[in-house]
Amino acid sequence: MSLTAALNLARNGLAINQAAIQTTGNNIANVGNPNYTRQSPTITTAKDQQWRPGVFVGTGAQLEGIHRQIDDALEGRVRNSLSDAENAGAQQQWLSRVESVFNELSDQDLSTQLSTFFNSWSDLANKPQDLGLRQVVVQSGVSVATWFNQMNGEMQSLRADLGEKLKASALKADTLAEQIADLNGQITRSEGGAVGAEAMGLRDQRDTRLKDLASLVEIRTIEQPNGVVNVYVGSDPLVFDTRSRGVTTTNETIDGRVVTQVVFKSNGGVLQSDSGELGGLTKVRDALDQTNADLDQLASSLSFELNKIHSSGQGLEGFASVVGSTTIADTTVALTDPKTDLKVMPKSGSFVVHVKDKASGLSTSTLVQIDLDGAGTDTSLDSLITQLDAVGGITAASNGGRLQITADNAPSSEISFSQDSSGVLAALGVNTFFAGTEAGTIRVNQQISDKPQLLAAAKNGNSGDNQAARLIANLETAGLASLGGASLKSTYEGMVSNIATQTATASASAEASAVVVETLQAQREALSGVSLDEEAVNLMRYQRAFQGAARVVTVVDELMDTMLAMVR
Amino acid sequence: MAILPANIARVSNNLRANTSLNQIQRTQAQLIRTQNQLATGRRLNAPSDDPGQSTIAAQIRKTLEKRDAYNTNLQQAKNGLSEVDSTLGEISDLALQAQQVASANVGDLVTQEERVAASAIIKSIYSQMVTLGNRSFEGSYIFAGDRLDQPPFEEFAGGVKFKGSATTLRNDFDESTTGDFQVNGAAVWGALSTRIESSADNSPSLTGVTRLTDLKGTTGEGVTPGVIAISDGTFSANIDLNNANSMQDVIDAINNAAVGTLTASFNASGDGLQITGGAGDEITIRDIGGGRTANDLGIRTNLSGGTGAPVIGSDIQPKITPLTPIASLNNGLGIDTAGLIISNGTKTATIDLSSATTVEDLLNAINGAEVGVQAEIKADGSGLRLLNPTQGNEMRVGENGGGTAADLGLRSFDTNSKLGDLNAGKGVRTKDGADFRITDSNGVAFDIDLTTAQQDVQDVLDAINTAATTAGAGVTASFAATGNGIVLTDTAGGAGTLNLAAQNFSQAAADLGLDAPVTGNTIEGRDVHEVVAQGVFANMNKLQRAMAEGDQQGITEAAEAIQQDYDRVVRMRGEVGARVQEIESRQTRLADQNVSTTALLSQIEDTDFTEAITKFQLLQTSLQASLQTTGQVLNLSLIDFLR
Repeated sequence: MSLTAALNLARNGLAINQAAIQTTGNNIANVGNPNYTRQSPTITTAKDQQWRPGVFVGTGAQLEGIHRQIDDALEGRVRNSLSDAENAGAQQQWLSRVESVFNELSDQDLSTQLSTFFNSWSDLANKPQDLGLRQVVVQSGVSVATWFNQMNGEMQSLRADLGEKLKASALKADTLAEQIADLNGQITRSEGGAVGAEAMGLRDQRDTRLKDLASLVEIRTIEQPNGVVNVYVGSDPLVFDTRSRGVTTTNETIDGRVVTQVVFKSNGGVLQSDSGELGGLTKVRDALDQTNADLDQLASSLSFELNKIHSSGQGLEGFASVVGSTTIADTTVALTDPKTDLKVMPKSGSFVVHVKDKASGLSTSTLVQIDLDGAGTDTSLDSLITQLDAVGGITAASNGGRLQITADNAPSSEISFSQDSSGVLAALGVNTFFAGTEAGTIRVNQQISDKPQLLAAAKNGNSGDNQAARLIANLETAGLASLGGASLKSTYEGMVSNIATQTATASASAEASAVVVETLQAQREALSGVSLDEEAVNLMRYQRAFQGAARVVTVVDELMDTMLAMVR
Repeated sequence: MAILPANIARVSNNLRANTSLNQIQRTQAQLIRTQNQLATGRRLNAPSDDPGQSTIAAQIRKTLEKRDAYNTNLQQAKNGLSEVDSTLGEISDLALQAQQVASANVGDLVTQEERVAASAIIKSIYSQMVTLGNRSFEGSYIFAGDRLDQPPFEEFAGGVKFKGSATTLRNDFDESTTGDFQVNGAAVWGALSTRIESSADNSPSLTGVTRLTDLKGTTGEGVTPGVIAISDGTFSANIDLNNANSMQDVIDAINNAAVGTLTASFNASGDGLQITGGAGDEITIRDIGGGRTANDLGIRTNLSGGTGAPVIGSDIQPKITPLTPIASLNNGLGIDTAGLIISNGTKTATIDLSSATTVEDLLNAINGAEVGVQAEIKADGSGLRLLNPTQGNEMRVGENGGGTAADLGLRSFDTNSKLGDLNAGKGVRTKDGADFRITDSNGVAFDIDLTTAQQDVQDVLDAINTAATTAGAGVTASFAATGNGIVLTDTAGGAGTLNLAAQNFSQAAADLGLDAPVTGNTIEGRDVHEVVAQGVFANMNKLQRAMAEGDQQGITEAAEAIQQDYDRVVRMRGEVGARVQEIESRQTRLADQNVSTTALLSQIEDTDFTEAITKFQLLQTSLQASLQTTGQVLNLSLIDFLR
């Protein structure tokens, strides 16, 4: 018990309150920082001093520490909710871009184009001989094909964008993981393993990085006693101690498409995240690929089924020479062999080839058998050429893998086809309306667009017949074998509805998860956020405490003076 | 709206700011959505706005777009048929006019000069009729059927030839209805004669390449592909014939299934299948489910025919197609290829069939002979038919020394021809008592008295031959082997000449074509059973000729025929009018449907303005409140009170 002790006590008080004021100042300075965790000093009573046995005198206060007001479990939940929100958000954003490729519910969409196209066939049936209407059919066919090409192109570029975005996000995740590993090291060094020690600024920084990382991939964190946080993606560690395993992307080719995969840098293992932005982007890519495949299927069915009717029909005039639009890779194998590279397979059956003498108007017809039952010798392009070549009045040859049939006496004779039950003409692209079998390659057969007279509206050989045109006009709503019994119309509607439902679901879940994020963040703010009013009160409190302590110093000083005066 | 913890202990500045900010943003997002709905007038701007309703909206849009096509079709059909209607009106007017001219020129009060002058009017009516027949509307010849890109009528060998098609075009009027938008020109003008149709069943025999689509099947409705179940009593198998294209495919499929020792082949008569098994087999063949393939193929055997009995399929009636080999016609018997002699008007051609192998070759030989005769396969595929598309011309089809015409059932005049049908339906005019007398080269004569006992040409031949035998005369009557006609041959070998003379002023011999001159020892009778395409042009032609020649009987006959034409055209006009009316009522119905469908679409797609504006107001108020409270609350701070 001494005046010096009292002076010390006051000095302590000054120092503690000064620290408290500094903490408050720090809090006030960070009031707008959303990642800041409110700090508060823990001031405890100092150890008593025994005055005489049984009587203790207090020695003032001591600053036990300055701590962050944080609930680690809540932080974890915030991170998870961020993963979910970013997952749904990415899906919503990108799926609506996919949806906008379809541009449905407007007059500028594929379904309207298809309607216009099939309606043009229906109109052609009213006047099959009209070249103007034929031109309209060709033009609307070109529109449909271009529409398919454009949609495919947009999906491809969307896919490329998505790949870039995946790469950028993976790079970001890699940087964040690196930073977290680095901060782990700094925090252990700063805190030196002391119990209760907290490198608050560093920890705040690390928490911010963790949140950012959680936005990208769904993570799980486990804090070690030494202050290190280990980060796991699924069951794979991403950051362990002070090392990050790193995140990068690789390109793999699956089914002819380049697939960008997010992998660990250290061992190339796939980084499987179902949530977070990366998870959302991956899901969107799968949906996009599915939609693109559906679009291809639709284009292929449209092309093949229409061609099947068209190739058995006849135009206003026949062909002097016709070249198939499909190239056969191997002309010696059966047409059902995958080595032919045919996208659509013909089957056993037959077709009739007519050679018409234009002057007399008389035709000679020959039945050509297609044997593809897998037993005996099946028809190959070469054997078909031999068969066709044997037919009087025509010459057949392979034009670089494409079937070419020429009328010997052209231009006084011409060729036409009918009654193809095998689909071989459609498969080889002979007398077809569309060429190409995928959304990206479908186009109107050049021969038809050059000469709309060749457009096959007739089925019975009479120039004014409209049966083929009528069949084609009703193709859109007819059940098709190549679509498993569904129609072009219902398949397309299904596609649009599918992507719309996915977008709507993503939208709804984005909205819902945003609410969850807000709620959790509100909870976090309630605990960890800075309130200026509170700080103002604290400020006043510490100010007064500081002033009090200073007054104690003054008093003790006066006491000292008094004491020293006694000595004089 | 964020769910704030109920027991918030403390409110930080960020919490206050975030809550306000989120609220304002959310209200503003809703506001812009409502604003967009109000601005575009649409509730659904992308399918994801409401996937369920959007699908319905897309379907409705499709329906509307499809109906556009139906509406176009209806409008086109209406336009076309209205044109036909007015053309038919003009035709009937002209026919009436021709009839009036005809009736004014019958009788003794009219001089021949006046008739000749009036015949010029008929001539002009005739050419107007040809113009009407070739009328085109918006580029389509309205009477040409499915050859509407060419004028259907053409002057040919003194008559008017119909080059159009009797097949009329149709188009879809709605999802399930198709309707004709043309009338059958041949029916309007009476342009085609169809008398020479194969009287026989020329159906070909089955071959491996016979396509299933070329079969009529047991029911006559074709063969429906499907799965059949075959059993020999011990083993059984289901055989999928869905991909079978030809008869060979069917036989292969059954044989490849290897059910016991069962094998498939054609039956002995070549018109069906046969399934043969071992001695102990009890063969059954059934259709699966509701299928009818086995039945259509004539081999359905629900109960075995007995142990060891083969299943002998019934006749599945292969149809004649252009590809059918001639040799397989008449159930495999083929036809004589000696050829045909066809004459039409002034033209005659011998049809050479020596190089013909398929039915198409045969048809080409006839169609390419430039006699204006049209050969085609009968609609039911059981035979051929020859049409004379040239009105006013007489067509005759005879043998070229063989049996081709008879084999094809196409001979226009043969021993089976009814006497009453001869001479374009005028028949054979007989008298009571002897009709004609035949004298052979030895001078032995006998009389022939034709009565109702003689029905057809064979009866006449028999009567002559019997009378000749009775009288001991060396005369035989037969039917020409080349061309058509009754042939009388003198076998007496006397010094005189064969002679035929009419008795009792009977015209029977002339009506039988026996007024031909004697050549050597034969009289080759004329073909008196010609096929004439009746119709407006032929009748007009006849009228004009009769008037020019002063043939009053001919004028009356022609006028009667024109009356029939007139009646037919008026009847068809009535039909066309009824069709136009039907189309108009369809159009009205379609328009009504469109109104209600569009209303439905609008209900789904369009903004409910009352609702949207109310919502807009509410949101506006809400935003205002948010802004105001935010402004005030965020400004309040204890800091203000510090000094």
